[in-house]
Amino acid sequence: MTEAQFVALSPLILVGLAALVVMLAASFKRSNGLALGLTLAGFAASLVSLAWAAKVAPVQVTPLILIDRLALFYLGLVFLTGAAVALLGHGYFEKRAGYRDEFYMLLLMATLGAGVLVATTHFAALFIGLELLTISLYALVGYTRTEPRSLEAGLKYLVLATVSTSFLLFGVALLYAELGTMEFGKMVDLIRQGGHRETLVNGAIALVGIGIGFKLALVPLHMWTPDVYEGAPAPVTAFVATVSKGAMTAVLLRLYLLVGGAIPDSVMTLLSVIAILSMFVGNLLALLQDNVKRILAYSSIAHLGYLLVAFIAGGNFAPEAVTYYLIAYMATSLGTFGMVSVISGREREAEELRDYAGLFWRRPFEAGVFAAMLMSLAGIPLTAGFIGKFYLLAAGVDMGAWVLLGSVVINSALGLFYYLRIVASMYAAETSAKPGAAAREVALLGSATLAALALCLIWLGVFPAGLITLIRSAVLGV
Amino acid sequence: MWPLLVFIAAVMVVVAAQIVLSHFLGQRHRERATGEPYESGIVSEGSARLRFSATFYLVAMLFVIFDLEAVYIFSWVISFRELGWSGYFKIFVFIAILLASLVYLWRIGALEAGPPKRRLREAEVK
Repeated sequence: MTEAQFVALSPLILVGLAALVVMLAASFKRSNGLALGLTLAGFAASLVSLAWAAKVAPVQVTPLILIDRLALFYLGLVFLTGAAVALLGHGYFEKRAGYRDEFYMLLLMATLGAGVLVATTHFAALFIGLELLTISLYALVGYTRTEPRSLEAGLKYLVLATVSTSFLLFGVALLYAELGTMEFGKMVDLIRQGGHRETLVNGAIALVGIGIGFKLALVPLHMWTPDVYEGAPAPVTAFVATVSKGAMTAVLLRLYLLVGGAIPDSVMTLLSVIAILSMFVGNLLALLQDNVKRILAYSSIAHLGYLLVAFIAGGNFAPEAVTYYLIAYMATSLGTFGMVSVISGREREAEELRDYAGLFWRRPFEAGVFAAMLMSLAGIPLTAGFIGKFYLLAAGVDMGAWVLLGSVVINSALGLFYYLRIVASMYAAETSAKPGAAAREVALLGSATLAALALCLIWLGVFPAGLITLIRSAVLGV
Repeated sequence: MWPLLVFIAAVMVVVAAQIVLSHFLGQRHRERATGEPYESGIVSEGSARLRFSATFYLVAMLFVIFDLEAVYIFSWVISFRELGWSGYFKIFVFIAILLASLVYLWRIGALEAGPPKRRLREAEVK
């Protein structure tokens, strides 16, 4: 390994090292605060080393990993989100009995897996990253071992994710058998040249698509989302909704950029159907729910549908539109699930809609931030969600994809209804909230994180230009 | 393609036939001892749902994990000279990580066989 390669890989190495340090610290001194401090130090070091790595980028480190501007940008996104989840988790697990240090260790390892995913150019590394992320998530989803629902969610995620991973693996094996390479770039070239068995390659790509679609929870593969989101501890839900989906989107984006937009019409039609179904199924089922975590789970299915629209209808705009939408989605999801974890009490989580009744009168600050987050999910102006949706619609109008755009508009209206339902119940006069759900004490770190996120969302909604320039330099530098 | 389809259809038919036929032809009776396990004529005693200590299971799992890691070390040893110092440092990092996880397992008490010390102490008090 040359020096440049070492420097380029340092963000990933540092996160891995942080996981080890947290593990060793946990084995000698168990302390929630110490583990949080070490975790944040690890993330901070990695974020600093990103600047260091940017000087030598793009660097190919072994055939597996390519550290280029796109990878660095997404690494930054993943690490920042991981740090925010750690901050939210501190307050959440402080209130609960049981081991806390392992949460940070697993979180760091899952983030490392996501980091490998966003920087990969090879199916072997894709698989390693995916497994590192997913196996850590099995343990994280079932982390509160005393709660049957958390265990149930963990088991469900274990079985379903394993099945979906085996689909992915089988697809990769078929591709390797036919094309003789696992590198993304070489594969795309070979497929373009032709001379292979079409049916086999198409089938293999479909199998890989199933593996990716499961992680993104697109519609025929979305069944696990509400149950897992509901059962997992709220900070972990925030992680599953943001980092795991974001890293997979980065992989899709990399493949998209390699293919160069030359995707066959039949595939485009299939993706359009999936996108439309995701939007409608997500939004319509969210209308039927009374559980805030389930509502947000269905809303995340719908949002991935919107994201797919950006891929399909984006044209030359697609990489930018996808990245901007993803950032807006990640920040808001982090905020909403973070809010659930901040206002949850010792006995159980604040997940029923009626736990939020009159929240504004009890905790005005949190209610205000939560309302801002929900508005951003709905895409109301002055929030990042609005700019994300605007990007999407502008790109779609450019391409003349009217059916998709029509669905986006209809679904935005549908979405507004259930987001406003939560907001309305927060501002309603106080009613009988079930006891045990409300936190008596304020988690300072968590609330500060959420306030920062809310400021960030509004800042991005009012002055998006800075971020757009940054995204352009990242995605166009590939 | 069609022989495969015929085979799949044949499998379906055979399985379905077995289920349907045994449903109609099989005997059905519910006596006092029908649901009980057959113990050579001896009336069974108690429930089969005992609680076993699972520590042996944990130790076995740890063994499998660390045994598998040894595979990587063997593959390094075979090409020791070709890999040189670079390979040496890589396997050093690998083994250091394994060692760190072993320290962690030791400290959380995963390596202790038998019932936890706490329970032994409680038993002594009694």
